[in-house]
Amino acid sequence: MDALPVLALVLLALTLTVVAPRAMSPQTSFRLCPGAALLAWQSVTVSGVCAALVSAPLAAWGIRQDHEGVWWAATALSGAMLARLLLSGHRVGTGLRTLRRRHRDQVDVLARIDEQTGVSVLDHASPTAYCLPGRRRRIVLSRGALEALDESETAALLAHERAHLRARHDIILEFFTVVHHAVPRPLRCETALAETHLLIEALADRAALRRCGARPLAGALVAMNGSTPPGATLAGGSDQARVRLLLIADAATRRPGRAALIYSFALGVLALPVALAVVSL
Amino acid sequence: MLHSDATYDPGMSTTRSRDLGDLERAVMTVLWDHGPDQSVREVMHELNDSRNLAYTTVMTVLDRLSKKGLAQRRRDGRAFRYTAASTREELTAASMRSGLETLDTGDRRAAMLHFLGQSDPAELADLREALAEVERRHR
Repeated sequence: MDALPVLALVLLALTLTVVAPRAMSPQTSFRLCPGAALLAWQSVTVSGVCAALVSAPLAAWGIRQDHEGVWWAATALSGAMLARLLLSGHRVGTGLRTLRRRHRDQVDVLARIDEQTGVSVLDHASPTAYCLPGRRRRIVLSRGALEALDESETAALLAHERAHLRARHDIILEFFTVVHHAVPRPLRCETALAETHLLIEALADRAALRRCGARPLAGALVAMNGSTPPGATLAGGSDQARVRLLLIADAATRRPGRAALIYSFALGVLALPVALAVVSL
Repeated sequence: MLHSDATYDPGMSTTRSRDLGDLERAVMTVLWDHGPDQSVREVMHELNDSRNLAYTTVMTVLDRLSKKGLAQRRRDGRAFRYTAASTREELTAASMRSGLETLDTGDRRAAMLHFLGQSDPAELADLREALAEVERRHR
């Protein structure tokens, strides 16, 4: 057995979990192909987790006859990492479902159902709009939002929310959130999580503009700008309305070359730890 | 496996849960409009101006609402009296927020997807410029 592939695998695990999120989040060119970019983020995350889980036992594999203790320690380390990941999955999963259920219960006793669209309308003057994903999903708008938007803008906003629900964007977000919480706190990358949120919004914008056109969607973003109270802003999330407007403008340009490049990057990132693990055995 | 749950039958679920939802809304409205400590009979009396409901139906709905934390109940002799847990205005305000309070904002953001979430409002001038760019490119 060769030490080099194992060393490479350890380095890869560190690169994918610690360096890659910090290197990728400032790459705003990823945003021009949000679908491909989200796939790249998912493969970096999956690949990093896999590399981190297998590298310690693989490193100790060659010396397991002479140093059985080291082998067991390495395996235990991986076991602990896996347990942490599963625990995070459980916590985030139940937390999200509880939050959504409580929120839906509230909305259901408060909101009137709009006959035409089936969305829940809250009687509040400030504009807001969101969806609650899940089996009993809801799209929620405030009276203020309906007043701020014209008919075509409302349709574009609803197309955006329906794209979230149809494509189950919540599951992608949940996956990133689970891994984010499984990583030890000092190594977590908040900007990476914020960037994946932005990519998911950009992806739903793409779906909405294909359906309703760019101008109504852009109008809805302008009208809803400032609709959520500031204070919870995360790095990368500020002036989101402006960033998304520019991405909508750019959506007029097809970028098959760039998308292909990002897709191949995603594929390569997935293949790398598998190749290294096979070679090291 | 037995499915005694009324919402199980896929053909029935939409109408059933919708009716139940309407009823919960109506009962909450009574609690909001008619003050604290309402008995089942009082709530039933208010509702039966417009519909004909059995005592047990109203009791079940009130029980569900208190299990959901939307109503609070207090024992009064052999029955319960019900009060809305928060005012309609408070609950509406809570439903509007993306929740900056107790919980981890990361989890909150994944719980509900805001159309335009967690961002500082952009400067109007910047927005106009970006909007002009959209109109120029999507001709």
